[in-house]
Amino acid sequence: MKRLLPRLLLGLPAVALLTLFFVLPYVEMVAMSFRAPAFGQPFGSGHTLMHYGRALGDPLYTGALVRSLLTGALITALCLLVSFPLALHLSRLQGRWHVVFYACIVSPLLIGVLVRNFGWMVLVAVDGPFNRWAMAAGLIERPVRVLFTQGIVVMALVHVFTPFMVLPIATALRNVRPELREASASLGAGAFETFRRVTLPLSFPGVQAGVTLVFVLSVAAYVTPALLGGQGIAYMPAVVVRELIGSFAWPFGAALAVIMAASTLAVVTVFTLATHRLAERTRA
Amino acid sequence: MTQIDIIGLTKRYGTTLALDGVTLQAREGELVSLLGPSGCGKTTTLRCIAGFMDPDGGDILADGASVTDLPPQRRDFGVVFQNYALFPHLTVFENVAYGLGVRRVPKAEQRTRVAEALAMVRLQGLEDRLPRALSGGQQQRVALARALVIRPRLLLLDEPLANLDARLREEVRWLIRDVQQRARITAFYVTHDQAEAMALSDRIAVMKAGRVAQFATPREIYQRPAEAYVARFTGEANIIPVRPRDRTAGGGFHVPFGGVVLPVSGVEGIRPGDAAMLMLRPEALSITDPGAPDAIPALVLGAAFLGAALACEVSLADGMRLRLQASPHGTVQPGMTVGLAVDTAHAWLMPDIPQ
Ligand SMILES: Nc1ncnc2c1ncn2[C@@H]1O[C@H](COP(=O)(O)OP(=O)(O)OP(=O)(O)O)[C@@H](O)[C@H]1O
Ligand SMILES: [Mg+2]
Repeated sequence: MKRLLPRLLLGLPAVALLTLFFVLPYVEMVAMSFRAPAFGQPFGSGHTLMHYGRALGDPLYTGALVRSLLTGALITALCLLVSFPLALHLSRLQGRWHVVFYACIVSPLLIGVLVRNFGWMVLVAVDGPFNRWAMAAGLIERPVRVLFTQGIVVMALVHVFTPFMVLPIATALRNVRPELREASASLGAGAFETFRRVTLPLSFPGVQAGVTLVFVLSVAAYVTPALLGGQGIAYMPAVVVRELIGSFAWPFGAALAVIMAASTLAVVTVFTLATHRLAERTRA
Repeated sequence: MTQIDIIGLTKRYGTTLALDGVTLQAREGELVSLLGPSGCGKTTTLRCIAGFMDPDGGDILADGASVTDLPPQRRDFGVVFQNYALFPHLTVFENVAYGLGVRRVPKAEQRTRVAEALAMVRLQGLEDRLPRALSGGQQQRVALARALVIRPRLLLLDEPLANLDARLREEVRWLIRDVQQRARITAFYVTHDQAEAMALSDRIAVMKAGRVAQFATPREIYQRPAEAYVARFTGEANIIPVRPRDRTAGGGFHVPFGGVVLPVSGVEGIRPGDAAMLMLRPEALSITDPGAPDAIPALVLGAAFLGAALACEVSLADGMRLRLQASPHGTVQPGMTVGLAVDTAHAWLMPDIPQ
């Protein structure tokens, strides 16, 4: 018990930082979502539950929420598919080639979000390189519209979130001791069997981290869907921003934001609980 | 029940020659130890046999058929690793059943065979634990059971006891020997502990810089080493440079030593007059009265009481220092002048081979 005070003191800066930048804003946001609306100012006096009722009762909002969550799941799944082979390769490289490949993996993050999305716009424009090459290759007869579709949004987000999936998986794979593969082989398992029974399950800590990160980031992505998705498709973050800034309706916007955060958290929690046994077995 | 022949194995890492023509054999049910100091190529040899590594030259035969080109999963050799290499995400049961699952053995048979294997290594009641919840000794038993359950043609063990404390090491050592004998399984056992190799092995290959310096039974290796390197590595030995004078009638050599001439046997091919090395194990020397016939006068430099014996260091007239074990009931003290008697049955003459 004598040690308790120094420990508390050690934890203090972290607690203070978390409170200031994490807890307080959330508390403020949640509090805001219960305030009464008002004309001519962001919010009125008094409290109400009406914003939640409105948000959950209107298919415009629930539709955007479901679309955001489903798109997030799709992006996460595609990201995982693309990232696993990359992570496997990265984890087996040594020395200089490891550095080079690592740099390639993180390169999407080195470009600013506007430049990156402008790049996509140029690439897939009706008279852009994508259409010209596809036509030259005989894949399409006339230019197709790629911009302002859901497909390009998914593609661009998979591209930029890949590093968040590759790096944790590669780290987990690096922690799989090579003798385990040898032990597996000596027990009669071929390369695929060893991958399925040893390498894949032991990569799970990385997969869990990557999936959680990419899902949360995808659902919350704002700029890319706004630039590449156009006005036609409403995703939740854009709706929230519109209410908060466009309509100046802080309480309603806050309620939408809280609903979005809670839904994301719920999905992550379900995923964590569903994979609890595997995570427990494979934790380092 | 398989005979393994290893013929002229070579392996190079970059510029270092790790294996330089290793030739070995393990007959059916035999346990052969690879003994040698760090870096002499024991692990490399074992990894080539297991198939984790391709030798640059040489051949590995199992019952006369080459396995050199087979991948490890098609060799049917069980491997026990120094750090156990248990699958951390699988329980004890699942670890042991791994090789059976891979072979699509029916579940019911898996259960009986896993239970048998765990009984063999005397580890029961821990089937549902993960490896991280086991002690080192328990992990080693699981590793052994996992390798045995597939009924491998050959068992390969790379310093399986190195990570255990002294008492456990003794216990698991006997367990390994017992299991190996009961399963009548051919085995290669890597160690750098000569006592371990002596106690366990049917035959020992003493390795020296990527070659086999001597391959023989523990008794032969200890009593009739092929060179001073082997003598030093297999126990305490006084190694004395000598020049044998001539042959004895019995095929041995007359070796002048400390003012007397000893009749000793030795390695074939030594020529009288050549430089040679005389091995005197501590038990070949005893302390007598300085006046006794053929006693070599010596000065006691130090004596340490070890319980069962008195370890002494003495020096001869020419300054040569020797270690020996005297009776713990004697009165030997540093500074005393004593006589040394040599039991020539425990002396051995070896060629002078550079270390
Ligand atoms: N991957 C490698 N790359 C380069 N050299 C290596 C490699 N592995 C081993 N060597 C070298 O090959 C020689 C034999 O190594 P090996 O591991 O077989 O020795 P060992 O007898 O098992 O030693 P220890 O008792 O220390 O385990 C050593 O000189 C070692 O430095
Ligand atoms: Mg080794």
